[in-house]
Amino acid sequence: MERRTALKRTALLAGASTLGPSLLSLLQSCQPASRLDWTPEFLSLEQADFFAAFVDTILPKTETPGALDVKVDLFMDLVFARLYNAAGQEQLLADIKAFDERCTDQFGQTFANLDGGQRTEFLQAEETTNAKYAPQVWGTAVGEQEPIGFYRSMKSLVIWGYFSSQEIGQNVLNYDPVPGDYRGCVPLAEIGRSWSL
Amino acid sequence: MANFNIDAKRDMTYDAIVIGSGISGGWAAKELCEGGLKTLVLERGRLVEHVKDYPTMNNDPWDLELRGAASAAEMEDYQVVSRSGFVGANNRHFYGKDDENPYTEVKPFLWIRANQMGGRSLLWGKQTYRWCEQDFTANSEDGHGVDWPIRYADLEPWYTHVEKFAGISGQALGLPQLPDSHFLPPMEMNCVEKEVKKRIEAEFPGRVMTIGRVAHLTEPLNGRGKCQFRNRCDRGCPYGAYFSSNAVTLPAANATGNLTIRPFSIANEIIYDAASGKATGVRVIDAETKEVIEYYARIIFCNASTINTTQILLNSTSDRFPNGLGNDSGELGHNLMDHTYRVGATGKFDGFADQYYSGRRPNGIYIPRYVNLDEQSRSDEFVRGFGFQGGAGRASWGAGANQEAFGADFKDGLMQPGPWEFFITGFAECLPYHENQVSLDRDQLDKWGRPTLKIDCEFKANEKAINRRIRQDAQEMLERAGLEEIISFDNEHEPGYGIHEMGTARMGRDPETSVLNGTNQVHAVPNVFVTDGACMTSSSCVNPSLTYMAITARAANHALEELQKNNL
Repeated sequence: MERRTALKRTALLAGASTLGPSLLSLLQSCQPASRLDWTPEFLSLEQADFFAAFVDTILPKTETPGALDVKVDLFMDLVFARLYNAAGQEQLLADIKAFDERCTDQFGQTFANLDGGQRTEFLQAEETTNAKYAPQVWGTAVGEQEPIGFYRSMKSLVIWGYFSSQEIGQNVLNYDPVPGDYRGCVPLAEIGRSWSL
Repeated sequence: MANFNIDAKRDMTYDAIVIGSGISGGWAAKELCEGGLKTLVLERGRLVEHVKDYPTMNNDPWDLELRGAASAAEMEDYQVVSRSGFVGANNRHFYGKDDENPYTEVKPFLWIRANQMGGRSLLWGKQTYRWCEQDFTANSEDGHGVDWPIRYADLEPWYTHVEKFAGISGQALGLPQLPDSHFLPPMEMNCVEKEVKKRIEAEFPGRVMTIGRVAHLTEPLNGRGKCQFRNRCDRGCPYGAYFSSNAVTLPAANATGNLTIRPFSIANEIIYDAASGKATGVRVIDAETKEVIEYYARIIFCNASTINTTQILLNSTSDRFPNGLGNDSGELGHNLMDHTYRVGATGKFDGFADQYYSGRRPNGIYIPRYVNLDEQSRSDEFVRGFGFQGGAGRASWGAGANQEAFGADFKDGLMQPGPWEFFITGFAECLPYHENQVSLDRDQLDKWGRPTLKIDCEFKANEKAINRRIRQDAQEMLERAGLEEIISFDNEHEPGYGIHEMGTARMGRDPETSVLNGTNQVHAVPNVFVTDGACMTSSSCVNPSLTYMAITARAANHALEELQKNNL
């Protein structure tokens, strides 16, 4: 384990009154390094590593912040913990496992351990095989909705977490909490980026 | 705002009792209080004072841990209302909990409730359309249901009366099938809506597309501010820009000094006095203490919302009325209606890529009814009609989920608005069927020991035929308006999704086939008035709330006149 990460982890855990068995065994055996500097509420460290790699591949840092910069992986952990019901959580864990197993079959490594090119190759295949969301009217899908696969639903969550974050919503997109009026036709050039709200 | 008088202990007797404080109850309270009557409003839920009790009104997505979504634990008590797709962390507190309104779905029926001061006036869609002459003659013309005891002309002055005070924004068109309101300036259409309007009106003579007519102020009115285009209405509006009981009618009622409002007061039954042939008051269960209390008054207005009003009447039994107050006809509980919902089409518009809009308009477009208006527009497939609501906008970052892309360029692309999209969805008139009904279930009691309701309602052949036409017309209009990648849809929702419950205590000319007379009085108990959706004799295809307002103001003023003449 990288020294700096290990120190951070230890410091985090020092404040915890109880340690889950998985955390204890991780410390004791000093398993392959986790890049994590936060403590997930729902995910295991390994699963959190998976999502860190996943969100970074979907929305990497450019001249604007990446998904990791605005802590989309933390947000997803929270969503799994609070928004998902028990059945959804169970399904999620099975989906993560299956996803990584396919990864391992193809590349001999889990997704988090792939290099950038391999991640791209793997996700591109997912794009073509995953069903799309049906259009929505007033908050609900209309027409036939094919079951949405793990990849696309996670991608959707990444996008939600990223664009609903304060950093992106207030400082990157156009933020106007009280527009005051409605103008129906405004040259896009006058506005620039999308409205955040 | 002045504090509300909630001290209902001081007086057990009032001039008038109004059951419910939603759209129609608020109007009843205002008219009766302004007419000089000491009025008690019974509200089954808590007080919600304008602005003060809108805790989420300024939340940005990131102000809440789950960015506006409600957690599984938070939604546990809201399983029924969450079927609507509208309930989240920012508005959950304005929706009724499952255990407050348990009911049995004999056939699937979604019952959306709001149990607090203001009721669903805090949550409604605010689309406001006058009914037309044809809406009031339809039953007698095609023989479905019974004839309305009133005509458009009876309501016309009352539409004007309520519109001037509520504040309705819209565009006057002079159409007989969609009479103009007394309008504040219309909201603006965006580029694509203007273009689609042009094309639809050119391609389909007789069809018109207009900006939605809405109960939002586009100019200040009576101290209320104009709409700020935040589109956060269902959390309560700090400007009072949209019509709600909380911002508009109840403060006006309160200003008279004649209003008392008692929260946590479940009206359990109306007390009937056989000797006088009148109701004498209301028996209330305190929702918190379960204490039973009686309040008395000369007149009683039932405005608990369609299904709840009828529940109270059904539960008000006596030797004279063993099957519910005023139920000589056997029609109480019957002829439940709603509008069909989420059937239409959506597509993409190629063009105006350099155009955008500013502000979040809480409104869309409207296409008024164009079928079965006359011989030329007559359908062989169905009676009555439908209208469309809809709108255009540019796809936002959420559309990224469907793009077959990810990575740096993908992310930067999502910072820009996506393609223009346009959709329309129809609302079909529903016929009054005797067998579509609510009834008391005395074997299943709620947590206050009251009989619950069984709801047995379905759309039938006529509604399904209208929906087929809606879907077909929506597809065709979008095609000929130049939309691409069109998807038509019919979610085949059960009734209730329209949240326009109507009927179950209908008005009529004949006491043998209806519950209420032409001034909304229970035929056999004339000091009991029903002026919420329960009174409706047919359903039109336009949104009903404005008509509830007008009917309520009319009935309340009739009650005032009758009291003056000592007729009640």
